[in-house]
Amino acid sequence: MQAQSRAPARILAIEDDPLLAAHLHDHLRHRGFDVTLRQDGEEGLGLAREEDFDLILMDILLPGRSGLEVLASLRHERKVPVILMSALGAEQDRIAGFSQGADDYLPKPFSMGEMEVRIEAVLRRVAYERQEAPVDLPQDPQLEFFEQRTDVCLGGQWAGFTPTEYRLFDLLSRSAEEVLSKPFLYQQVLHRAFSQHDRSLDMHVSHIRRKLQAVGYSAGRVETVWGKGYVLTRQPS
Amino acid sequence: MRVPRRHSLFWKLTGALALFCLLLVSLYADFGRLIYSATSHLSDSAKSTLTGFAREAESAWNERGATGVDEFLQELRERERVWAVVVGRQDQSLSSEPLTSRELERLDFIRPLDGSLGRPNGWPTFYIPFSDGEHRLVLELPRELSPRKHLALLNLAMQRLLPALLAVLLGIVLYRALIVPLGILHRQAGTLSSGKLSARVGPLVTERRDEFGELGRAFDHMAERLEHTVDFQRQLLRDLSHELRTPLSRLRVAGEHATDVTELRQRLEREVQLMEQLIGDILELAWLDTERPQLPVEAVDVGRLWEVVRENAGFESGWPIERMPSALPADCRVGGHLNGLAHALENILRNAIRHSPLDGQVSLGGRREGDVWHLWVDDQGPGVAEDKLEAIFLPFTRLNAARPGGDGFGLGLSIARSMLQLQGGELWAENRERGLRMNIRLRMYSL
Repeated sequence: MQAQSRAPARILAIEDDPLLAAHLHDHLRHRGFDVTLRQDGEEGLGLAREEDFDLILMDILLPGRSGLEVLASLRHERKVPVILMSALGAEQDRIAGFSQGADDYLPKPFSMGEMEVRIEAVLRRVAYERQEAPVDLPQDPQLEFFEQRTDVCLGGQWAGFTPTEYRLFDLLSRSAEEVLSKPFLYQQVLHRAFSQHDRSLDMHVSHIRRKLQAVGYSAGRVETVWGKGYVLTRQPS
Repeated sequence: MRVPRRHSLFWKLTGALALFCLLLVSLYADFGRLIYSATSHLSDSAKSTLTGFAREAESAWNERGATGVDEFLQELRERERVWAVVVGRQDQSLSSEPLTSRELERLDFIRPLDGSLGRPNGWPTFYIPFSDGEHRLVLELPRELSPRKHLALLNLAMQRLLPALLAVLLGIVLYRALIVPLGILHRQAGTLSSGKLSARVGPLVTERRDEFGELGRAFDHMAERLEHTVDFQRQLLRDLSHELRTPLSRLRVAGEHATDVTELRQRLEREVQLMEQLIGDILELAWLDTERPQLPVEAVDVGRLWEVVRENAGFESGWPIERMPSALPADCRVGGHLNGLAHALENILRNAIRHSPLDGQVSLGGRREGDVWHLWVDDQGPGVAEDKLEAIFLPFTRLNAARPGGDGFGLGLSIARSMLQLQGGELWAENRERGLRMNIRLRMYSL
């Protein structure tokens, strides 16, 4: 993955439950991240201000100070991406978290695999945003892409994409044959966090498939990888 | 200020006040007239006293002439502090003092004993003829003989006491009218706060058509919601703790008899997932029931949504998507909340798949009826007993007790119904010849 291309990403984890904290620490370290662990919100905030981290993972309910407060005061100073963890499944908590500038939200209990996917998605988005504009190679053997119109064209026929559908398809076709996770696509295309019952992305994919079929596109297919995400597979013509 | 409605208290209060004012004015006028007519004539005792004076004057005149009259008049003037003279037929004084011109003038305005007292602020002069009819005693009315000596007091009573009394009366009437419903509300609020959630103010208040009626109805509605919510949550809590025992006891047994770590790990994974699902569903149901969140409504293309839902269900159950066909018209757009609707459809579809035979079909259909879309999801399962068609939407309803916990907790359809109701839709079930039909009604999307 691009996130780990050079130096390992530095992650600051702020979690007060010692058992979970130790588990997080070991798991992420094992995955090749450079992890710093703090159990106290105040202390973690101080550290986040002083040092450069690539990502902060923190609990909403911390002793001393609530995660939301820490997040709000941190946002005044730095643009480091933040993932919130919480056992409060309530929607309002989630909404409050994002309005304070969290990039993603992990409802507890979550599996380590789920956490990894979310971390990758955020880091990958940041890396994507820092990239130079890619050199325009012909993206697709059949389709022409029109950034201005946010639409694609096949043999003089417009597919009729909405801006969101265009962004989504553009991203899929730039990373053809690579499975893009739902959390990453939500971050990148819809600019919000992925949650369990959100079907907006699936609807967009469904519309894209139908519109591509209507213009007779045959060089690729947007496939669902169950439990992972979406991928554009090239079809041998 | 809004114009008050027809049955508003405003009109009652205004009416009472208007009545009060009218009553005050008319009573004041009536009493005034009554008092005036009651005090405009001399009482019989006053008349006989005055006649007595005349007899005294007559006997003094008959016995001692002018000297007698002089003495009598002096005594009378001192005793009664009034002006008095005795005159003959041509208004000549019978005493030794002749009349002044002013006194002569006064003789033009004298009244007989039966006459009225004239203007209320004047002071009348009466004459009483002697028995010979020639002479007469003329005198100002003595103070204590006047029927008007209490007039000031009466006027004071009428101007101050009457309005005060009427105001107190009005106050009592209004207070009685307002305090009764207030008292009922107060009592029921007390009962409610002491934990008896069945407290209601009852028809005595709620059937009133004024503001008290509104308040009473609002109170009853509030109590209704409160009671429902608390009951619902207690029930959920009971059910949840009951349901959690199953996976926990299975885990305990597995822990005691485990020989194979891999198998134990798989078992653990499965049970934990089950418990997570259960807690998530319960929280969601409680949230939907208590918060009744306002979900943003957008146009949802049901055909596309079915494709999404069907794909997920296919992955979960291993069904190929050909066995979940849709016969929906292509223009089916409903006004709904995408994720809520997706969630409801997923639960309905999962339920249908679960009760279908191995090679069964679950199909979506629908038609427009005016500005409403009527959708249905048909399975080919065994259907449901007619008397249980509503019960399947209650939380933790399992019609088939032979499969406890194995697949779901019976929360799916409750969540689906709540989700749809939140978007102004409906969900109900009916049996077909073969299988069960879930009916959904949703508003057509219109800008």
